[in-house]
Amino acid sequence: MSPATLKFAPRHLTRIPPAYLVFVVLFATLWFAKPHLMHINVMGVFIRQVAPLGILVLGQLLVMRVRSIDLSGAGVLLVVNYLVSSGILGDVPPVVHLFIALAVGLVVGIINGYLVGKRRVSAVIATLAVTVILTGFIQFLASGKPPGDMPDYMNTLYNTKIWALPTPVLFWVFLTVMMSIFLSRFVFGRYIDAIGENPTAAHFSGVPVEKTVIVSHILASVIAAVAALVQSSSVAVGSIRLGLDMPIDAVAATILGGVVFGRGGVWGPFFGVMCFALLFVVMTSFGVPDPGKQIARGLIILLAAIFYGLSHSRE
Amino acid sequence: MRMLGTLSRSFKNSRQGLWFVPLIVIVIALVALTAYTDDFATGQNLNNLLSQAMPLIIVAIGQMTVVLLGGMDLSVGSVISLTTAILALDAPPLALIPAVFLAATMIGFINGFSIVTLNVHPIIATLSLQFIVVGIARLLRPVAGGSVPDAVVSIVTGSFAGIPLSIFWAMIIVTLGWKIIHGSRYGLHLFAIGGGVSSGQGNAARHSGLADKRNIILAYIFSALFAALAGVFIAGRIASGDPGVGDSFTLDSVTAVAIGGTQLSGGVGSLHGTLFGAILMVLLANGMNLANLSAFLQGAMKGTILVIVVALQSRKKMGL
Repeated sequence: MSPATLKFAPRHLTRIPPAYLVFVVLFATLWFAKPHLMHINVMGVFIRQVAPLGILVLGQLLVMRVRSIDLSGAGVLLVVNYLVSSGILGDVPPVVHLFIALAVGLVVGIINGYLVGKRRVSAVIATLAVTVILTGFIQFLASGKPPGDMPDYMNTLYNTKIWALPTPVLFWVFLTVMMSIFLSRFVFGRYIDAIGENPTAAHFSGVPVEKTVIVSHILASVIAAVAALVQSSSVAVGSIRLGLDMPIDAVAATILGGVVFGRGGVWGPFFGVMCFALLFVVMTSFGVPDPGKQIARGLIILLAAIFYGLSHSRE
Repeated sequence: MRMLGTLSRSFKNSRQGLWFVPLIVIVIALVALTAYTDDFATGQNLNNLLSQAMPLIIVAIGQMTVVLLGGMDLSVGSVISLTTAILALDAPPLALIPAVFLAATMIGFINGFSIVTLNVHPIIATLSLQFIVVGIARLLRPVAGGSVPDAVVSIVTGSFAGIPLSIFWAMIIVTLGWKIIHGSRYGLHLFAIGGGVSSGQGNAARHSGLADKRNIILAYIFSALFAALAGVFIAGRIASGDPGVGDSFTLDSVTAVAIGGTQLSGGVGSLHGTLFGAILMVLLANGMNLANLSAFLQGAMKGTILVIVVALQSRKKMGL
């Protein structure tokens, strides 16, 4: 089964997430080609842009570890974005925004979890359909127009720095550390490991497979709601056309980070997201047009998936 | 009642799935639409309906060959967009048409090859191809525009002896799909491979001596080719190229296939079911238009139908 081309590669080399390699290559490219961009303030701005994506990825890797996928992040993003910016809630304190967003995530997560875990619907179809439903509904409510301005406190918070580092980036790193601890130190993390390796074996070893999948989906959507708040605070005006780009990028970054339906860590996807940040800087600074970026994105997902497909083809 | 019982029993273990459910709904919808709206049963509207249904029927047939294998092709929408973009290029039609089908064959082959030989999950493979193909379409034609050769337009929208040509094309394509899925050894192999995948015995067909890899690659090529054919139809209707025109077809084709009783886990399904599923989708859109429902809510409606239909299918596997 294993292709001859990969036989010479030592086993442990093919286990390293492609994200690290890609990150080094992109970083070196920038270092040599555009040294003036290599300043902490400049890079901070670029990396800050992908903080929402980075947070979204934390949920995505959770569901992908249990051999599922979540494309409903786009829907959650849109709903939170609309609720915060349309003024539909009235003049409420920030903490209400937070709770409303988390509640949206919780509800969408429960729906996803029910469909995927209980009804055994294909996760792609279920979560994609949830996004389509939420998008249609929000666009109807907003009658196709941008809903309104984001509250001021959000943008102020977004622009703050702690030492030289932007707060959203630090928040992202903090959540990543939390997720890393959660997966390695808690029983739930072990369950996820077991299901990722072999769902049938996990089931017969007494792992509550169904419950774990459902909880993963709920967590993923709640995390998506947090990502949505960060994303909302990065823009001045609400939008109803966010599209599927974010969750798909999240899938791509997760795969790039070495998580492919069953296994992987937290820091691989973290660097997967960093790769996306650098990649867009590289492409923008070299003047690659928009469709070119789209092609590059597709190629990266495909190549990362092929890399992992080949290195695991013995199983 | 007894007849109904016998009927449902003979369908219960059928390899063709619950294709009669959409048929019953279609009949109800037709009756309701004729009774409650004045504009539905007019020749103009029915003709519109057919030309709306054609692309979806074609894509859904292609999508179905892949779904029967327990796979899914999320790149069909992008192939449609690319097709219209190629057809709107400034070149003689005799060069454009082969280019369209060559491109589709290549896309289908890359899909199939990545999945079978390079061991990539079908959804990831076709999703990433979708990005690449849409990107290429946007490079060829950044915004909607250009013009499609007159020959293509007249083939699609013309009529012969008072009957729209699209009726002939519909019959030819459905017959072709029937031949592939229900009338050939290849079709039987599709069911065999998909049945194995669906029951958790992924290699069952290979162990019975079927060349499953070759057949799977061929199914993805069929899917892309049918999508290209649908693209030609759409290009003929809009007479220009549009890099975003195919977007909605990806999910709609999956919905049509699922409504038609094809199990998304593979191995169960029928061409007539898919045909009814596609017609039902278009009828529904037509009905919602006649009822003046907001376009945004129509999208939400389609998503809801997809979730309900898929949630009603039983499947052992959890996750993807």
